[in-house]
Amino acid sequence: MEIGFIKKLINVIVSNESKSSATDEELVSTYLRTGDSAAFNELISRYADKVYGFALRITRNTSDAEEVFQEVFLILTKKLDTFRGDSKFSSWLYRVTANSAYMFMRSQKKHENNLSLEGYSPYDEEGTLMGKIMYKDWSSRPDLIVFNKEAIKIIDEAINDLPESYRTVFHLRDIEGLSNDEVADVLEISVSAVKSRLHRARLFLRDKLSDYFYDWRK
Amino acid sequence: MFMCKDVVENIMEYIDNELDLETLKTLEKHTGDCPECMAFVNTYKRMLEITGKLKDKPFVTPEIRNRLKILLESKIKPI
Repeated sequence: MEIGFIKKLINVIVSNESKSSATDEELVSTYLRTGDSAAFNELISRYADKVYGFALRITRNTSDAEEVFQEVFLILTKKLDTFRGDSKFSSWLYRVTANSAYMFMRSQKKHENNLSLEGYSPYDEEGTLMGKIMYKDWSSRPDLIVFNKEAIKIIDEAINDLPESYRTVFHLRDIEGLSNDEVADVLEISVSAVKSRLHRARLFLRDKLSDYFYDWRK
Repeated sequence: MFMCKDVVENIMEYIDNELDLETLKTLEKHTGDCPECMAFVNTYKRMLEITGKLKDKPFVTPEIRNRLKILLESKIKPI
Protein backbone atom coordinates (compact mmCIF):
# COMPACT_ATOMS: atom_id res chain seq x y z
CA MET A 1 0.00 0.00 0.00
CA GLU A 2 2.79 2.36 0.87
CA ILE A 3 4.55 1.69 -2.46
CA GLY A 4 1.28 2.35 -4.33
CA PHE A 5 0.80 5.62 -2.50
CA ILE A 6 4.36 6.70 -3.22
CA LYS A 7 3.97 5.86 -6.95
CA LYS A 8 0.76 7.89 -7.06
CA LEU A 9 2.45 10.79 -5.30
CA ILE A 10 5.37 10.69 -7.74
CA ASN A 11 2.92 10.73 -10.68
CA VAL A 12 1.20 13.81 -9.29
CA ILE A 13 4.52 15.60 -8.73
CA VAL A 14 5.81 14.73 -12.22
CA SER A 15 2.49 15.78 -13.75
CA ASN A 16 2.53 19.11 -11.87
CA GLU A 17 6.13 19.76 -12.85
CA SER A 18 5.33 19.18 -16.51
CA LYS A 19 2.39 21.60 -16.16
CA SER A 20 4.56 24.31 -14.69
CA SER A 21 7.11 23.98 -17.50
CA ALA A 22 4.48 23.82 -20.27
CA THR A 23 3.77 26.86 -22.42
CA ASP A 24 0.39 28.57 -22.12
CA GLU A 25 -0.59 27.22 -25.51
CA GLU A 26 0.34 23.66 -24.48
CA LEU A 27 -1.80 23.98 -21.36
CA VAL A 28 -4.74 25.21 -23.43
CA SER A 29 -4.31 22.31 -25.84
CA THR A 30 -4.08 19.78 -22.99
CA TYR A 31 -7.20 21.13 -21.32
CA LEU A 32 -9.19 21.14 -24.55
CA ARG A 33 -8.12 17.61 -25.46
CA THR A 34 -8.43 15.93 -22.08
CA GLY A 35 -10.28 18.28 -19.73
CA ASP A 36 -7.28 18.04 -17.40
CA SER A 37 -8.15 20.34 -14.51
CA ALA A 38 -4.48 20.61 -13.51
CA ALA A 39 -3.76 22.31 -16.85
CA PHE A 40 -6.62 24.75 -16.25
CA ASN A 41 -5.48 25.41 -12.69
CA GLU A 42 -2.00 26.18 -13.94
CA LEU A 43 -3.46 28.80 -16.29
CA ILE A 44 -5.36 30.30 -13.36
CA SER A 45 -2.18 30.40 -11.28
CA ARG A 46 -0.28 32.16 -14.04
CA TYR A 47 -2.92 34.74 -14.90
CA ALA A 48 -5.09 35.33 -11.82
CA ASP A 49 -3.20 38.45 -10.70
CA LYS A 50 -2.87 39.79 -14.24
CA VAL A 51 -6.58 39.37 -15.01
CA TYR A 52 -7.65 40.83 -11.66
CA GLY A 53 -5.15 43.69 -11.93
CA PHE A 54 -6.34 44.65 -15.41
CA ALA A 55 -10.01 44.36 -14.40
CA LEU A 56 -9.32 46.56 -11.39
CA ARG A 57 -7.54 49.10 -13.60
CA ILE A 58 -10.62 49.38 -15.81
CA THR A 59 -13.33 49.25 -13.14
CA ARG A 60 -11.35 50.98 -10.33
CA ASN A 61 -13.46 49.08 -7.82
CA THR A 62 -12.43 45.86 -6.07
CA SER A 63 -15.84 44.17 -5.97
CA ASP A 64 -16.48 45.03 -9.64
CA ALA A 65 -13.01 43.74 -10.50
CA GLU A 66 -13.73 40.45 -8.75
CA GLU A 67 -16.96 40.01 -10.71
CA VAL A 68 -15.06 40.57 -13.95
CA PHE A 69 -12.27 38.26 -12.77
CA GLN A 70 -14.76 35.46 -12.11
CA GLU A 71 -16.53 36.06 -15.40
CA VAL A 72 -13.25 35.83 -17.34
CA PHE A 73 -12.35 32.41 -15.94
CA LEU A 74 -15.91 31.22 -16.38
CA ILE A 75 -15.68 32.28 -20.05
CA LEU A 76 -12.43 30.35 -20.27
CA THR A 77 -14.11 27.13 -19.18
CA LYS A 78 -16.72 27.58 -21.89
CA LYS A 79 -14.95 29.32 -24.75
CA LEU A 80 -11.32 28.38 -24.54
CA ASP A 81 -11.77 26.58 -27.85
CA THR A 82 -12.29 29.97 -29.53
CA PHE A 83 -8.63 30.74 -28.86
CA ARG A 84 -7.10 29.99 -32.25
CA GLY A 85 -3.49 30.74 -31.49
CA ASP A 86 -3.33 33.71 -33.91
CA SER A 87 -1.93 35.80 -31.05
CA LYS A 88 -0.25 34.92 -27.78
CA PHE A 89 -2.59 33.38 -25.21
CA SER A 90 -1.82 36.26 -22.82
CA SER A 91 -2.95 38.84 -25.42
CA TRP A 92 -6.14 36.88 -26.05
CA LEU A 93 -6.82 36.68 -22.31
CA TYR A 94 -6.27 40.41 -21.81
CA ARG A 95 -8.73 41.03 -24.65
CA VAL A 96 -11.32 38.76 -23.00
CA THR A 97 -10.74 40.64 -19.73
CA ALA A 98 -11.14 44.06 -21.35
CA ASN A 99 -14.32 43.01 -23.16
CA SER A 100 -15.77 41.47 -19.99
CA ALA A 101 -14.96 44.60 -18.00
CA TYR A 102 -16.55 46.90 -20.60
CA MET A 103 -19.67 44.71 -20.72
CA PHE A 104 -19.86 44.71 -16.94
CA MET A 105 -19.54 48.50 -16.78
CA ARG A 106 -22.26 48.88 -19.42
CA SER A 107 -24.56 46.48 -17.59
CA GLN A 108 -24.09 48.47 -14.38
CA LYS A 109 -24.59 51.70 -16.30
CA LYS A 110 -21.23 52.87 -15.02
CA HIS A 111 -20.18 55.31 -17.68
CA GLU A 112 -16.94 57.19 -17.58
CA ASN A 113 -16.34 60.49 -19.30
CA ASN A 114 -13.43 59.62 -21.51
CA LEU A 115 -11.64 62.94 -21.68
CA SER A 116 -8.88 63.51 -24.17
CA LEU A 117 -5.35 64.30 -23.07
CA GLU A 118 -4.21 65.00 -26.62
CA GLY A 119 -3.42 68.61 -25.83
CA TYR A 120 -1.63 67.73 -22.62
CA SER A 121 1.97 68.89 -22.67
CA PRO A 122 4.42 70.55 -20.30
CA TYR A 123 5.82 73.15 -22.73
CA ASP A 124 4.50 76.67 -23.34
CA GLU A 125 3.18 78.22 -26.55
CA GLU A 126 6.73 78.97 -27.70
CA GLY A 127 7.65 75.31 -27.25
CA THR A 128 9.92 75.84 -24.26
CA LEU A 129 9.98 74.35 -20.77
CA MET A 130 11.44 77.49 -19.21
CA GLY A 131 10.72 77.61 -15.49
CA LYS A 132 8.38 74.63 -15.56
CA ILE A 133 10.42 71.54 -14.74
CA MET A 134 13.73 72.21 -13.03
CA TYR A 135 12.44 73.71 -9.80
CA LYS A 136 10.53 70.49 -9.19
CA ASP A 137 13.37 68.19 -10.26
CA TRP A 138 13.29 65.16 -7.99
CA SER A 139 15.32 62.79 -10.17
CA SER A 140 18.41 62.81 -7.97
CA ARG A 141 16.56 61.95 -4.79
CA PRO A 142 17.81 58.74 -3.16
CA ASP A 143 16.08 55.47 -4.10
CA LEU A 144 14.86 55.12 -0.52
CA ILE A 145 12.73 58.24 -0.98
CA VAL A 146 11.79 57.78 -4.63
CA PHE A 147 10.65 54.18 -4.20
CA ASN A 148 8.84 54.65 -0.91
CA LYS A 149 5.44 53.04 -0.50
CA GLU A 150 3.61 56.36 -0.59
CA ALA A 151 5.22 57.37 -3.90
CA ILE A 152 4.20 54.04 -5.41
CA LYS A 153 0.67 54.52 -4.02
CA ILE A 154 0.56 58.06 -5.46
CA ILE A 155 1.50 56.82 -8.93
CA ASP A 156 -1.02 53.96 -8.69
CA GLU A 157 -3.76 56.46 -7.83
CA ALA A 158 -2.57 58.86 -10.54
CA ILE A 159 -2.85 56.06 -13.11
CA ASN A 160 -6.45 55.60 -11.99
CA ASP A 161 -7.02 59.33 -12.56
CA LEU A 162 -6.16 58.88 -16.22
CA PRO A 163 -9.09 58.71 -18.65
CA GLU A 164 -9.94 55.07 -19.38
CA SER A 165 -8.48 54.86 -22.88
CA TYR A 166 -5.10 56.13 -21.60
CA ARG A 167 -5.27 54.06 -18.40
CA THR A 168 -5.64 50.75 -20.21
CA VAL A 169 -2.81 51.51 -22.63
CA PHE A 170 -0.49 52.59 -19.83
CA HIS A 171 -1.34 49.56 -17.69
CA LEU A 172 -0.70 47.03 -20.45
CA ARG A 173 2.41 48.72 -21.83
CA ASP A 174 4.25 50.08 -18.80
CA ILE A 175 3.03 47.86 -15.99
CA GLU A 176 2.41 44.54 -17.73
CA GLY A 177 5.23 45.10 -20.19
CA LEU A 178 3.40 44.28 -23.43
CA SER A 179 4.85 45.60 -26.69
CA ASN A 180 3.10 48.38 -28.62
CA ASP A 181 1.92 45.79 -31.15
CA GLU A 182 0.50 43.55 -28.42
CA VAL A 183 -1.34 46.45 -26.74
CA ALA A 184 -2.80 47.43 -30.12
CA ASP A 185 -3.91 43.82 -30.63
CA VAL A 186 -5.51 43.55 -27.17
CA LEU A 187 -7.37 46.87 -27.35
CA GLU A 188 -8.09 46.60 -31.08
CA ILE A 189 -6.62 50.02 -31.84
CA SER A 190 -3.77 51.13 -34.08
CA VAL A 191 -0.14 51.11 -32.95
CA SER A 192 0.01 54.87 -33.52
CA ALA A 193 -2.98 55.30 -31.17
CA VAL A 194 -1.14 53.20 -28.56
CA LYS A 195 1.96 55.38 -28.85
CA SER A 196 0.00 58.61 -28.74
CA ARG A 197 -2.01 57.62 -25.65
CA LEU A 198 1.05 56.23 -23.90
CA HIS A 199 2.95 59.44 -24.54
CA ARG A 200 0.24 61.67 -23.03
CA ALA A 201 -0.31 59.28 -20.11
CA ARG A 202 3.40 59.34 -19.24
CA LEU A 203 3.53 63.15 -19.41
CA PHE A 204 0.52 63.35 -17.10
CA LEU A 205 2.04 60.88 -14.61
CA ARG A 206 5.45 62.55 -14.62
CA ASP A 207 3.73 65.81 -13.71
CA LYS A 208 1.75 64.13 -10.91
CA LEU A 209 4.89 62.66 -9.40
CA SER A 210 6.71 65.98 -9.66
CA ASP A 211 3.87 67.67 -7.78
CA TYR A 212 3.99 64.96 -5.13
CA PHE A 213 7.74 65.19 -4.54
CA TYR A 214 7.62 68.99 -4.61
CA ASP A 215 4.84 69.10 -2.02
CA TRP A 216 6.58 66.43 0.03
CA ARG A 217 9.76 68.55 0.22
CA LYS A 218 7.76 71.49 1.56
CA MET B 1 15.63 74.96 -34.56
CA PHE B 2 15.41 72.18 -31.95
CA MET B 3 13.19 73.25 -29.06
CA CYS B 4 12.22 71.85 -25.65
CA LYS B 5 8.97 70.82 -27.36
CA ASP B 6 10.97 68.52 -29.64
CA VAL B 7 12.59 66.82 -26.64
CA VAL B 8 9.15 66.22 -25.11
CA GLU B 9 7.60 64.95 -28.35
CA ASN B 10 10.54 62.61 -29.06
CA ILE B 11 11.01 61.34 -25.52
CA MET B 12 9.43 57.90 -26.10
CA GLU B 13 11.59 57.17 -29.12
CA TYR B 14 14.61 58.49 -27.22
CA ILE B 15 13.98 56.17 -24.25
CA ASP B 16 13.38 53.23 -26.60
CA ASN B 17 16.54 53.98 -28.66
CA GLU B 18 14.44 54.45 -31.79
CA LEU B 19 15.70 57.89 -32.86
CA ASP B 20 17.75 58.28 -36.01
CA LEU B 21 21.34 59.30 -35.31
CA GLU B 22 20.93 62.91 -36.39
CA THR B 23 17.86 63.54 -34.21
CA LEU B 24 19.54 61.74 -31.32
CA LYS B 25 22.62 63.95 -31.52
CA THR B 26 20.53 67.11 -31.78
CA LEU B 27 18.35 66.07 -28.84
CA GLU B 28 21.34 65.24 -26.64
CA LYS B 29 23.03 68.51 -27.59
CA HIS B 30 19.87 70.39 -26.59
CA THR B 31 19.43 68.55 -23.27
CA GLY B 32 23.14 69.12 -22.53
CA ASP B 33 22.58 72.85 -22.90
CA CYS B 34 19.09 73.04 -21.37
CA PRO B 35 18.78 72.18 -17.66
CA GLU B 36 14.95 72.20 -17.94
CA CYS B 37 15.07 69.47 -20.56
CA MET B 38 17.70 67.53 -18.63
CA ALA B 39 15.41 67.61 -15.58
CA PHE B 40 12.49 66.57 -17.78
CA VAL B 41 14.35 63.55 -19.21
CA ASN B 42 15.68 62.48 -15.81
CA THR B 43 12.33 62.72 -14.02
CA TYR B 44 10.62 60.94 -16.94
CA LYS B 45 13.06 58.02 -16.60
CA ARG B 46 12.60 57.92 -12.81
CA MET B 47 8.82 57.91 -13.25
CA LEU B 48 9.11 54.81 -15.44
CA GLU B 49 11.26 53.12 -12.79
CA ILE B 50 8.58 53.76 -10.17
CA THR B 51 5.72 52.49 -12.32
CA GLY B 52 7.81 49.38 -13.03
CA LYS B 53 7.50 48.58 -9.32
CA LEU B 54 3.77 48.02 -9.83
CA LYS B 55 4.38 45.11 -12.19
CA ASP B 56 4.34 42.23 -9.77
CA LYS B 57 1.85 43.62 -7.30
CA PRO B 58 -0.22 40.70 -5.95
CA PHE B 59 -3.99 41.15 -6.08
CA VAL B 60 -5.61 37.78 -5.67
CA THR B 61 -5.91 36.80 -2.03
CA PRO B 62 -6.59 33.20 -0.99
CA GLU B 63 -10.20 34.28 -0.31
CA ILE B 64 -10.66 35.61 -3.87
CA ARG B 65 -9.06 32.44 -5.26
CA ASN B 66 -11.34 30.28 -3.11
CA ARG B 67 -14.48 32.11 -4.25
CA LEU B 68 -13.40 31.53 -7.86
CA LYS B 69 -12.83 27.83 -7.15
CA ILE B 70 -16.30 27.47 -5.62
CA LEU B 71 -17.87 29.30 -8.57
CA LEU B 72 -16.10 27.20 -11.18
CA GLU B 73 -16.93 23.94 -9.41
CA SER B 74 -20.59 24.92 -9.26
CA LYS B 75 -20.83 25.99 -12.92
CA ILE B 76 -18.60 23.88 -15.09
CA LYS B 77 -19.37 20.53 -16.54
CA PRO B 78 -16.45 18.27 -17.37
CA ILE B 79 -15.62 18.54 -21.07
